[in-house]
Amino acid sequence: METLVQIENVRKVYKRDEFEVPVLNGITVEVGRSDFLALMGPSGSGKTTLLNLIAGIDRPTAGRILVEGKEISRFSETALASWRARHVGFIFQLYNLIPVLNAFENVELPLLLTKLKKKERREHVTTALNIVGLGDRMFHYPRQLSGGQEQRVAIARAIVSDPTLLVADEPTGDLDAKNAEEILNLLARLNDEFDKTIIMVTHDPKAAVHARRTLHLEKGLLVEMVGAGMETISARAEA
Amino acid sequence: MKFSKLILRNVFRNKLRAILTVLLMAAIFFFIATLLSILENFTLFSEAGRGQNRLAVQSAISLANVLPVAHEQKIRQIPGIVDVCQMQWFGAYYKEPKNFFANFAIDHQHMRTVFDDYQTDDAQFAAFANDRQGTIVGPELMKRFGWKVGDRITLKSTIFPLNPELTIRGVYNHPIDTSSLFFHMDYFQHAMGDNGLVGMFWVKVKDRNNMTAVSKQIDDMFRNGTDPTETFTEKEFQLNFLSMMGDIKLLFHSISLCSIFMVILLAAITMSMSARERVTEIAVLKAIGFTRGLVLTLMLIEFTVLTLIGGIAGVLGGRVVYHFVNMTKVTQGFLVNFNLYTQSMIVCLIASIAVGLLAGGWPALRSANMSVVDGLRRVV
Repeated sequence: METLVQIENVRKVYKRDEFEVPVLNGITVEVGRSDFLALMGPSGSGKTTLLNLIAGIDRPTAGRILVEGKEISRFSETALASWRARHVGFIFQLYNLIPVLNAFENVELPLLLTKLKKKERREHVTTALNIVGLGDRMFHYPRQLSGGQEQRVAIARAIVSDPTLLVADEPTGDLDAKNAEEILNLLARLNDEFDKTIIMVTHDPKAAVHARRTLHLEKGLLVEMVGAGMETISARAEA
Repeated sequence: MKFSKLILRNVFRNKLRAILTVLLMAAIFFFIATLLSILENFTLFSEAGRGQNRLAVQSAISLANVLPVAHEQKIRQIPGIVDVCQMQWFGAYYKEPKNFFANFAIDHQHMRTVFDDYQTDDAQFAAFANDRQGTIVGPELMKRFGWKVGDRITLKSTIFPLNPELTIRGVYNHPIDTSSLFFHMDYFQHAMGDNGLVGMFWVKVKDRNNMTAVSKQIDDMFRNGTDPTETFTEKEFQLNFLSMMGDIKLLFHSISLCSIFMVILLAAITMSMSARERVTEIAVLKAIGFTRGLVLTLMLIEFTVLTLIGGIAGVLGGRVVYHFVNMTKVTQGFLVNFNLYTQSMIVCLIASIAVGLLAGGWPALRSANMSVVDGLRRVV
């Protein structure tokens, strides 16, 4: 499997007033293209921080993060924003749709940063909404949708620009079991049919089952790897 | 602009707050536009018609002091002068003090040459000239008191021991001043005992480029005498006249600036609330690739649109209000043909944009600089 993301000895320390709080203590891991990776661990283990670093919305205190061979942690703020627009799709626990925009307009948001014409944007948005099964809810506002439907719109927004990487932080954390299962099946389908590389943070072992591999973190250390293709992965926990 | 939908939806996301902010802006800019237009109204009055090559000669001590009538003949000796006209501010009202308006005793023989922007029908002016108790009146004043040509009226002076009984002989037309009354200087002088004193002279100069030189010559002529003069252009005179009420320009501008300062603070509170309740949304926008500069720009446009709508509502509302409200009547002739002027409206619209930028600058900058992780922390 071709390596998409390389995380090399990454440390992350947050400063809270005069205290330094170490969150990641030297993580090294690789994620292959078209992989579906679940990050598990108890609260405070650093899984969301690791996801944020991979997605380029946070910077490591030490170590390197390379995506497609480019060290994103060295990018300027503006370059990193542009990189995220092209390469990363975000799925959040609470969907985080813009309430004043309807489903179509929410999904269109990432495309406003591209040079696509209105007609092309419309085609992309329609395709994305059809993929998530909401072609008939295009002009509904978030308040007019169920939680499961809102998360589908969020997934459509994440995939509409055809990003290299999808990052999902507890995407089923706010959904009932039925909707959670549907969302996980949708993510698995995006991985299987569309070869999307997905990194998902979850507390739920049932959710992690849908991933190809699972990494367990505890206290900022990688403690366990489960799943297919482990032999291609080098992971190291450094105390 | 492809972001216009996002901007407009955010402007009106909290409808009540947006409407109240717009109303606040509208009220403030209506008020400011009114103050500025009052100043402009005064200035326009002095620049109306062909009156710009007129000089006002008054006592160097103050406008309240009088000058010898004999000055007139001396002034006439100065080259480049077309004509000279005596005038006396009379300060009377009609029936009740609330019916106050501008009224003057004037030398009718020289009125038409010096005040050639005041047009009167020849027959009516002749009737006025031939009747020492005749008067000519502005059309707004005629309308205000329901007067007709031929009516006899009595004015009550607040300055002089004279209540002139006058017959309306004509109605003049003027592009700005439509609410004044003029009666004979002869009548006034006779009633005052022909004491040889007058309030001021108006001097018509042949060449506008020669105004400063003529003005200097007049003042030089009387500088070392017992009744020195001070000569102004009509515009300067008008502004000096206003300054008798204090520095009204400074006062109006100060009030306007204070109003703008207050409205900036109020708008800043509204905009800070708006930005704070969207912390997560802004973090999401930044996460999906909106740059700091783009977020800053979008928020500033959003805030500015809100204040600009308020500004537009204020000045257009003002235009409508002053179209239907007769300010000449309301202000008893103090404001003539008043409405909001284009220049004042433009100043207000620019100020409303500035208010948006200043009030929204800090909240927008703070949002744009916010870390994505901090913004998402509540939900991530």
